Amino acid sequence: MGEFEVHRVRFFGLVPAGVRCLACHPRGSRLALARTDGAVEVYNFAANYFQEKVIPGHELRTVESLCWAAGDRLFGAGLSGDITEYDLSGLSAARGVDGGGGPIWSMVANSTGTQLAIGCEDGSVKIFQVVPGGIQFERNLDRRKGRVLCLSWHPSDTHIVAGSIDFFRVIDVTSGQTVQRIMVNHHVEKAKRECVVWAISLLSSGTVVSADSFGRVQFWDWEQGTLAESHTVSTSAALSLAVSEKEDSIIVGTSTGATYQLQLLPVTLGGQEKRWVRTKPFQFHSHDVRAVAHSPTALISGGLDAQLVIRPLMEKIQKKSYDAALRKFTFPHRRLVSCARKARLLLFQFSQYLELWRLGSTEETGKDGEVLPLCQMPEHLVQLKSKGPEHIYCSCVSPCGTWVGYSTASRFHLYRVHCDGDGVSLRKVPKVPKLLPPAYQLQFSADSDSLFVASARGSVHVFQLLEPGGCKHLHTLRPPSGCSEAVYLLAPSADGHWLAAVSGDWVSAVVPSVHCPLLQHHCTVPTYNCAVSALAIHPSTNNLVIAYSDQQLLEFSIPEKQYTSWSRAVQSRGLHRAWLERDSPITHITFNPKNPSHILLHDTYLLCVLDKSLPLPDDSTLLMNQSTLKQLPETARKRQLHAFKICKKFQPLLFMDLLDENCLVVVERPIMDFKTQLPLPVQQKKFGT
Amino acid sequence: MAALCESFTLRGPGPGGDGPGLCLEPGPGPDLVLLTERGRAATLFKISDQKPLGCWSLKHGQILTCPVVCNFETHEYIAVHDDKVLRIWKSEDISLDKAFKATLSADVYRIHSLPHGGLLVLFRGGGVRTLDELLEAPQQEIENVISGEAIRWSGAFMEDQQPVLIFTTEKDEDFFVYVQKPKLNSLHKYKLEQQESAKPLCFTAHITNQTVTLLCLYSNDSVYQILIPLQQDTEEEEEEKEILSKSLLLNFSISQAVLKGTSLVALDKDHIAVLGSLNAPKKQPKECLTIWNTKFQTLQTSKELPLGTSGQLWCYEEKFFLIHGKVLTVIMYKCETSSLAAAVGKLKCSQTPDVSSFMNWNTLEDEELVVSFQSQESVGLKAESRMNLRSKKSIDAELPFDSLSPGQVLARFKDAPNYLLETKFRRLMARAPTPDLQATVGGVVNVLTDRCKNSKYYPQDFLQEIVETWDLSYSLCPDLMAVGLEKKDMHLLQTCLERFPDIPEEITYACLKAFLSISEAHLENTDVNLDSVICYIDVESDKKEVKTEIVENGFSAQMDQDMCGTKIPKESQSWSDDESCPVGPQKAALLNAVLHSAYTETFLLPHLKNLPAQEAVLFLRYLYYLYVKCSGKVNTTLPGIRSPTINQIMDWMCLLLDAHFTVMVMLPEAKELLSNLHRFVRAQVRFYSELNKIEGSLRELQRLNHLRESHTYSIEVLEII
Repeated sequence: MGEFEVHRVRFFGLVPAGVRCLACHPRGSRLALARTDGAVEVYNFAANYFQEKVIPGHELRTVESLCWAAGDRLFGAGLSGDITEYDLSGLSAARGVDGGGGPIWSMVANSTGTQLAIGCEDGSVKIFQVVPGGIQFERNLDRRKGRVLCLSWHPSDTHIVAGSIDFFRVIDVTSGQTVQRIMVNHHVEKAKRECVVWAISLLSSGTVVSADSFGRVQFWDWEQGTLAESHTVSTSAALSLAVSEKEDSIIVGTSTGATYQLQLLPVTLGGQEKRWVRTKPFQFHSHDVRAVAHSPTALISGGLDAQLVIRPLMEKIQKKSYDAALRKFTFPHRRLVSCARKARLLLFQFSQYLELWRLGSTEETGKDGEVLPLCQMPEHLVQLKSKGPEHIYCSCVSPCGTWVGYSTASRFHLYRVHCDGDGVSLRKVPKVPKLLPPAYQLQFSADSDSLFVASARGSVHVFQLLEPGGCKHLHTLRPPSGCSEAVYLLAPSADGHWLAAVSGDWVSAVVPSVHCPLLQHHCTVPTYNCAVSALAIHPSTNNLVIAYSDQQLLEFSIPEKQYTSWSRAVQSRGLHRAWLERDSPITHITFNPKNPSHILLHDTYLLCVLDKSLPLPDDSTLLMNQSTLKQLPETARKRQLHAFKICKKFQPLLFMDLLDENCLVVVERPIMDFKTQLPLPVQQKKFGT
Repeated sequence: MAALCESFTLRGPGPGGDGPGLCLEPGPGPDLVLLTERGRAATLFKISDQKPLGCWSLKHGQILTCPVVCNFETHEYIAVHDDKVLRIWKSEDISLDKAFKATLSADVYRIHSLPHGGLLVLFRGGGVRTLDELLEAPQQEIENVISGEAIRWSGAFMEDQQPVLIFTTEKDEDFFVYVQKPKLNSLHKYKLEQQESAKPLCFTAHITNQTVTLLCLYSNDSVYQILIPLQQDTEEEEEEKEILSKSLLLNFSISQAVLKGTSLVALDKDHIAVLGSLNAPKKQPKECLTIWNTKFQTLQTSKELPLGTSGQLWCYEEKFFLIHGKVLTVIMYKCETSSLAAAVGKLKCSQTPDVSSFMNWNTLEDEELVVSFQSQESVGLKAESRMNLRSKKSIDAELPFDSLSPGQVLARFKDAPNYLLETKFRRLMARAPTPDLQATVGGVVNVLTDRCKNSKYYPQDFLQEIVETWDLSYSLCPDLMAVGLEKKDMHLLQTCLERFPDIPEEITYACLKAFLSISEAHLENTDVNLDSVICYIDVESDKKEVKTEIVENGFSAQMDQDMCGTKIPKESQSWSDDESCPVGPQKAALLNAVLHSAYTETFLLPHLKNLPAQEAVLFLRYLYYLYVKCSGKVNTTLPGIRSPTINQIMDWMCLLLDAHFTVMVMLPEAKELLSNLHRFVRAQVRFYSELNKIEGSLRELQRLNHLRESHTYSIEVLEII
């Protein structure tokens, strides 16, 4: 097909934030995750664990605990002392309610989701009522000295168990009195260190399970106040635990990065007497596992190494499917890099600042695999710090490289970039029209004349960019029927006639763009039961190529308002099994203007050139056949060619774009590079080191 | 079981090649034979090369009067011409005129050369001398032992480190046998028992356990056996001529036909070979060579010689030599220890009718159905076919097809016409999957293969389709592959080999043999799945192959064989890097299927030993080609789907060498291949041990490389094909 000059960029210093807590939706379809920087993410199990919603963090809003309540409402509480409800359709945090007990360490909802209990720094446990539109303080339970680090409701909602340092206590909810106080260190000889109960759970049988900083998982009979069983799972602290719904399996996370499964098993085969047995150890993480969750079919763990690991329980899985494989997610399922093709600039988005880089260049050419000598080094042009505590939602650089825009939860900023010789000057565009924030996605048109801003309720604002540095609001495009979800992906066409937008209810709407006299909604792509992970409009045919999170690829002809024949052929034939079983979703699609049949796409582990003119591979052929092809003589290659040309050289791949017809830019973030920037994990003696 | 193998011509038709004086004697070494012809010349032949190594002839007017023999110790040749003149020469000598010459006092009948026993000279008068004795005093007096008798046959043997000479004489229709031990000066004379209206035509003898077994071919188409004890005590009176009784060993009558034997050779204690003409009533007599088992009185094998023979037959080193037409022909044979099972030779086989009876479980299952058919069949011969059709129809009407159980369907349509069979079975298999559908499909295949046996019916596409769509196994349809072999359906065999997990080694071997022996021309028109080969085979290089062969002619590659290691001369390198595949792509694909099939070494090895040498060499050549191809790649894997792995190639190569080690060593055409292979393996071993050494440094480099890679920016070239 051809050779590409690949700009291999590894200077994007992204350090994903560690996972602080996890919350499985009671019906098991979604997983909420909070990171140490306060960002909240929602993963959809049904859509191949796609990261479907991201609410960026806030400097002052750390999240210590998340819980689902009253159906699909998500609440978070943190050391700021506030309880915050998250607006999942508007992708923002609603105003918080002060808990009134200092920093909140833990929060749990009762089994019906009507009440929230919070554990505070001052040792109090407070009950809040979940009411439409917010929460209401109900009452205080018995307050004892010592911060309440963890809480658990009894499934019948009659009791709450609260873990503190060196002890835990059981509180009767109706009376509000402490009915039992158990010293976890009582049985050990007078320990010098304090013992922190990091996680606790109250089972329906009345057993209390505690995980403490001595690395023990202990089972207590709370009525007698006796220790039933004790398992020392680790030499360092056991930080988190989660119990399955059937209460026959427990997952424990430790500070060494190991997770352990304990199962309630009969002592003799078929016997009645059952005991808890430590069954499976896993070592997926390198750092503390601060959060674990137990879905009906999988063990889920999140660590400070920013990894989310979903480990299916094979005995619970009936047939081989996407869910049957171990999944690890480190990087977001959306792009944080934008590229000015013409100016060869890259814009990196960090949580609170942006970096603008100019790519280097070379004058040499070479053969496959060669590294070309650089005649110009890449240049860090500017770092743009966002003011205020809010984290950045989205950012974009215009194709010509002279405009940079970004948005936080409350404000939208537009800058003009002037590159004259060596100096780079950045000037803020004054009087940017006030909009209902936030913007979820920014996209400049191909000619850099206008800017599209994705906004809440399915609307898209169109700004006209004015020389030398102005901006005017032109229109707001709205879907014909009301839409509650925010638009999170945009794709303008190269000719400026069309714009495709994807909102959270998974409808990609296509609206005519600025130059079209009828600024009307044109059509809606048929609804598909998975989230859109990337989309793009072909520059010459105006076909919309859509990648879904279940790895399906569809091509939709905008003028004809129907799927193209190629897309139908793909659907009827089915994609290659190896393609469908991939880990991460396609995050970016681009085209080669010189070769209309080529579609370039990438996910975290591969980049693919999809050549529509070639036959599709069937399951018996090798999908990743580039290395095989390279061994073959020219004559034999023809028979082996198929549409998917896959390169796995660049990993993990955060971004890929085509600069010109044979020049690619790829942005990698080697795992080792950011691991070195994490705090040191608990030192462990390893054999031979 | 004895068998006649391939034959070839040792010497083409010479001038008047059927001279009466033609005689063969073993040469000075293995694979050499000494031919005395037309009374004037002696020629030394190398049998496997089919060419003469030397030829010596006499001056005009002189005649060789007995076969030229070779002294096995000194490698000298001894001839007698004009009855009395002895000549001794070496193979370097060119002219016999200058050779050693001694004139004897009596006429020589024949000289016998014995390994480790020297040479014995038998005179016409019955006297025997060793050659050494004669050479000391050539003119010594030779006694006359026989009076008025003419020697008909003589033979010499070693027994107890002693040479023994036996000869038979004839006088007035009486036959006498003389046994002489020249070293002990003992002589015994026996008289042969007379046989009415028949006389001995040919003799042969062997000695076992102090007993001479004399076999005698009589003119009444029988072989008689005469046992002569070799007594140690010589005191017995010589006046009384002992009469030797004979016993009938064999009668050559082959179902009305009669073999008129002319020549007899004993092969081992149970087998004899007879050359003769087969006279069947009302038919032209046919000359043929036959091997008989005397123990079981059976004809083991025979070969027709339509061009006629001279009636003479020699046998050395498991080869028959005879004059067929005007050429000297060599026929190789194999003769194994006879067992009862092996003795059921050709003759018996043709007599037994081909009956095979086995249970058909499907029939038993639906016994009632069968009974009803039979009763209807017995109603009347004329109405039979019509009745049958009608009854089938009526049953069809009663029970719709889809409600029948698979077993019923199989039983009912077992005898249906061919066109109906396929459509019904297709419908049967299209049913919704049930747990036993697999077994049903197996049943369908069995019904089809039963029908295919011994008939022209062969639903190739249908069988192919079944094998491809269903996960069958060998045990579900054990006859399928046998039928495929019988019908030479290469594609089906290939698919079976690729899909069946449980093929017995015997069948795997049968497939391998079939694949190797089938001609490329036939394969070119066959539809074979080429997926496993197209990625690495070079189809275009066919012509190149021919060229390199021309180049290698006249180039003595053996000279450089012992050059080892890295310093291979350029010419020989280009020669050994013979890149073209020794087999066509179709054959390669079939062989790959065999390479892929599962096997157990212990069970495969005995079968593999039966692979003919030429085919074994071809297979080894292909394996070597694959090996070289594999080694060309760093990861030693061949591209493509289902292409053989390096481990499979090595395993098969080892197996094949194990099975055919001796053959390979003997076979001249395998020699180059083996030495190439050896050289290549040695180079590989050396190469890998070198790699071992540098692995450590490479690892360090890799680490450094990794450090280098941590640079944050580079521009690289990426080729996407």
